[in-house]
Amino acid sequence: MSPIPPAIELRQLTKRLPSGDRMLTILDHVDLAIAPGEFVAILGPSGSGKSTLLGLAAGLDRPTSGEVRIDGVEIQDLSEDALARLRRAKVGFVFQAFQLLSNMTALENVLLPLELKGAPHPIARARALLDRVGLTERGHHYPAQLSGGEQQRVALARAFAPQPRILFADEPTGNLDGTTGARILDVLDELRAADQVTLVLVTHDASIAERADRRIYLRDGRVERVESR
Amino acid sequence: MTGRAYFRHLAREARGARGRILFFVLCLAVGVGAVVAVAGFSSSLRTTLAREARQLLAADVKVRGQKPLPPAIDELLAADPSLRSTRITELVTVASAPLVPLAPITAGAAAAIRTQGAGAGRSQLVELKAIDGDFPFYGTLTLSPSRPLAELLAGGGAVAAPELLTRLSLRLGDSLSIGGKLFTLRGVVTAEPDRLGNAFALGPRLFLSGESLRSTGLIALGSRVGYRLLVRLPDGAAPAAATALATRLREALADPAFYRIETAAEGQPELRRGVDRTERFLGLVALLSLIVGSVGIAQTVRAWLASRLDSIAVFKALGARPREILSLYLGQIVLLALAGSLSGVALGLGLEHLVPAIAGPLLPVQPEIAFEPLAILRGLALGVGLALLFALPPLLAAIAVPAARVLRREIEPLPPSRIALVVTGLCLGLGLVAVASFQARSLRLGAAFAGGLLLTAALLALAARGLIVGVRRLPRLRLPLPLRYGLAALGRPGAPTVASVVALGLGALVVVGMRTVEVGLTSRLASDLPTAAPTAFLIDIQPDQWAAVRAEIDRAGATSVDSVPVVMARLKVIDGKVVEDLAESRDKERARGAERESDDEEESGQRGRWALTREQRLTFLDKLPSDNTLTSGKLWSEPGVAEVSVEEEYARDLGLKIGSKIEFDVQGVPVELTVTSLRKVRWESFGINFFWVVEPGVLDRAPQMRIASVRMPSGGEQKLQDALAASTPNVTVFAIREVLEKVSAVLDRIAFGVRFLGGFTVLAGLAILAGAVAAGAAQRSREAALGKALGMTRFQVAALFATESAIIGLLAGAIGAIAGTVLAAAVLEKGMDIPYRFAPGAPLVAIGLTAALAALVGLAASARALMQRPLEALRAE
Repeated sequence: MSPIPPAIELRQLTKRLPSGDRMLTILDHVDLAIAPGEFVAILGPSGSGKSTLLGLAAGLDRPTSGEVRIDGVEIQDLSEDALARLRRAKVGFVFQAFQLLSNMTALENVLLPLELKGAPHPIARARALLDRVGLTERGHHYPAQLSGGEQQRVALARAFAPQPRILFADEPTGNLDGTTGARILDVLDELRAADQVTLVLVTHDASIAERADRRIYLRDGRVERVESR
Repeated sequence: MTGRAYFRHLAREARGARGRILFFVLCLAVGVGAVVAVAGFSSSLRTTLAREARQLLAADVKVRGQKPLPPAIDELLAADPSLRSTRITELVTVASAPLVPLAPITAGAAAAIRTQGAGAGRSQLVELKAIDGDFPFYGTLTLSPSRPLAELLAGGGAVAAPELLTRLSLRLGDSLSIGGKLFTLRGVVTAEPDRLGNAFALGPRLFLSGESLRSTGLIALGSRVGYRLLVRLPDGAAPAAATALATRLREALADPAFYRIETAAEGQPELRRGVDRTERFLGLVALLSLIVGSVGIAQTVRAWLASRLDSIAVFKALGARPREILSLYLGQIVLLALAGSLSGVALGLGLEHLVPAIAGPLLPVQPEIAFEPLAILRGLALGVGLALLFALPPLLAAIAVPAARVLRREIEPLPPSRIALVVTGLCLGLGLVAVASFQARSLRLGAAFAGGLLLTAALLALAARGLIVGVRRLPRLRLPLPLRYGLAALGRPGAPTVASVVALGLGALVVVGMRTVEVGLTSRLASDLPTAAPTAFLIDIQPDQWAAVRAEIDRAGATSVDSVPVVMARLKVIDGKVVEDLAESRDKERARGAERESDDEEESGQRGRWALTREQRLTFLDKLPSDNTLTSGKLWSEPGVAEVSVEEEYARDLGLKIGSKIEFDVQGVPVELTVTSLRKVRWESFGINFFWVVEPGVLDRAPQMRIASVRMPSGGEQKLQDALAASTPNVTVFAIREVLEKVSAVLDRIAFGVRFLGGFTVLAGLAILAGAVAAGAAQRSREAALGKALGMTRFQVAALFATESAIIGLLAGAIGAIAGTVLAAAVLEKGMDIPYRFAPGAPLVAIGLTAALAALVGLAASARALMQRPLEALRAE
């Protein structure tokens, strides 16, 4: 029996971007493996490459060199369509700026990935998820009519809707006050635990990172150190 | 994604985009409306021509020619008693109200003895139609009193159009002198089935019986007479019977090339060809407004998708494939394009009803406006096709936004590669050629139109950019606030000013250009006659009448008189080829070339046939008039050869060159001539000119008549015509001014029609401007709020916005007016040989109107921003 592959594996991952007439190295030969069901926090100062790492690991962006494997499958050379299918099947996202679609209601936002996936009974499932994040009564509201915490809870419901294997969260509490942020993390934890989801979370906040199984510190595009609980 | 989910998405995407949807629909509807109106009306006109062909022909079969029908035709008709036939003789002549009451030619016309009143001695050109038999066989001749025509015409009766009664102050029962004979006016005709359009009529209609006409002696040698034969088949005869009869008639004619035989089943092919040609031209003018509207669509789609970049990135992050996102937005665009095109169809169907009012007497028949599914399909296809063509580039660009934008908002869609830009440009160019060719039904015309349009748009864009840069650099610190604001707005980064200016400018170009050509043409025709040009022509003067006519001319006060002999002849042989065969082969060529690309070729073919078979008028002169220039060969240079000099374009139509041998039939006598020179004629001098000038000595003793041109003091033409109507009634006087007035009235209507359609391009341009203004609604709201917060009144804020749009309109109007004037000047000078003189009226009005309309549209599109409370707008920040 072959061993279970890491949920995410990064090998010599490098990202360079043009800046004026020279190339700027954002990520520099990063190696990392994240086990299925693991909760990893990525920390580091601004400009250390946290969000870039997240984007590359999630297949939202393409590396300059190196490999990204999700469930053992190399993804850096996949076509746009194949990447989209992969995200649809396995990956969920939560963003700092919520990224809800403003012309859709809360329910419709949660419905969207289910519809993309062609999931059965999408409306019932979307309602159930809104229920789980405590927004049963707010399904018909547009994002502009919701508070920041409520918007992020809708984003969580949307992220978990297609039952992803991996969830990427980019500063999910960055735009929220401490109390609201803590509540969001509670909901995130609860959903993650119930579905056994691998979580990669980018944050500045050491107290949030405390909840993670492993903390990876980045500086200048390199892994500075790794701490485990 | 399932179908239901897809449509749910479509519905969600449409939310909150009411303004954008409105502009999208508006941009498309205006152009589609123009296209559908042109296509639908032409189609209705063609349908009416085809359906009422029998009424329009007034018969099942009609034969027409410029010489009498041979006896063989009589024999053919007599042999088949089931056929009914009528002969018609047509000519333009002069009718007059007699000066003194003469004895009427019938005893029954006692009323004619009465001395006639105010009109006595006055004369008028008439289009005389003399009938031998029943008329019409089909269709309605509206007469008052309502009696059969033959009954009214019997025994020296005449029936005239009401205008003749008015002009000669006649009443029913009065006498009327034609060709020196008196007839009694017995009825008034108000409608004829086979008189197609009135625009080109030289005078009111007058009916006589054939016998009456023959009694006048008007049909002298050389008179311009048209001979017609109408035949009616027995009731219930199959259309094939008409074709068979036409074939038999053609066989019975000794020289069929000199006649035209039409059957009702053909449904007025010449007229329908004319309708086709007009439709193609007007269709392209309409297409221009649709293309301008499509530029607006590209803008609307770009603005719409710019606001959707975040959504597209989120879609991608959630696993939507680019193709799914593309199909989602494409579906939206197709639905909007359908909505816009359908609104355009509704507009076009309404517009169709306006066409008769605009075209008036230019129309050969008043068509019954019918529901024309093909015209509607054409509008829908062009509308949706162009919308997609122009929406695709911004759509493809937006789809390229990377999913990573969800992490960093500043990530924009990747700039398209050079190859992508070239491919997009090619698609757009080829697409334009395709739609223009579809509309013009000719690849060559379509390509020329698309090429010309792209070039013009590029030049306008260049001019707009230059002007904007110039205006932006103007020192504006000391200008009043609205002006300063408007000028600053021109240079705002990302402001869609160039597109608005180009679109509006194209509209102004069409309107100003058309108006300038129209003014140049009509002023040339109406008032710019050369100072020494004759004011009237006298035709059909018999040689023995010339002395008397000349005396009348002098008595009427003519300041200059010119007169030449005219010999009537027919072409028989050109370079060994019989003319009938040449005409037939041209007919075949034309039938083969029905799908031929070029209108010019077809027209030249038709002209060639006409040139071959017409009654030829020859003159003989020792030396050429001053408005003739030899372009090749030498005049009267070969002793022993009977020479002829031919006008060069006419020679081209006939296929003649120097050395060509021609045989004419001059009243039964063959005359052989050799072409030894070609001439260019300056027709616009209005001097007496001929296609054929023969060496003196060849035709001197041939039967001939004279034609004269005279220059008269104002009003002298009528006096001369009145005098000649009494003394030599077969002589017809054409007052040039009157003819020119008719021509210019026709031109006015055509030009108005084109300007009317061109106006749609202006409308489309305004819709674009409105779209551009509304696209910046958020910024506008903020600006309005800030202005108000700083203490500006709503009126002052409105003035800011209106000035900004007015400046765009001003620039567009100026660029369009200048380009239109330059283009029109080139058309006049190069295409029509008419010297162009600058008239500031049309360009200035166009500039002013464009600016005013733009200001209004700008204000309307900013209304929401103006109405919003400052706090709301600032909070939204």
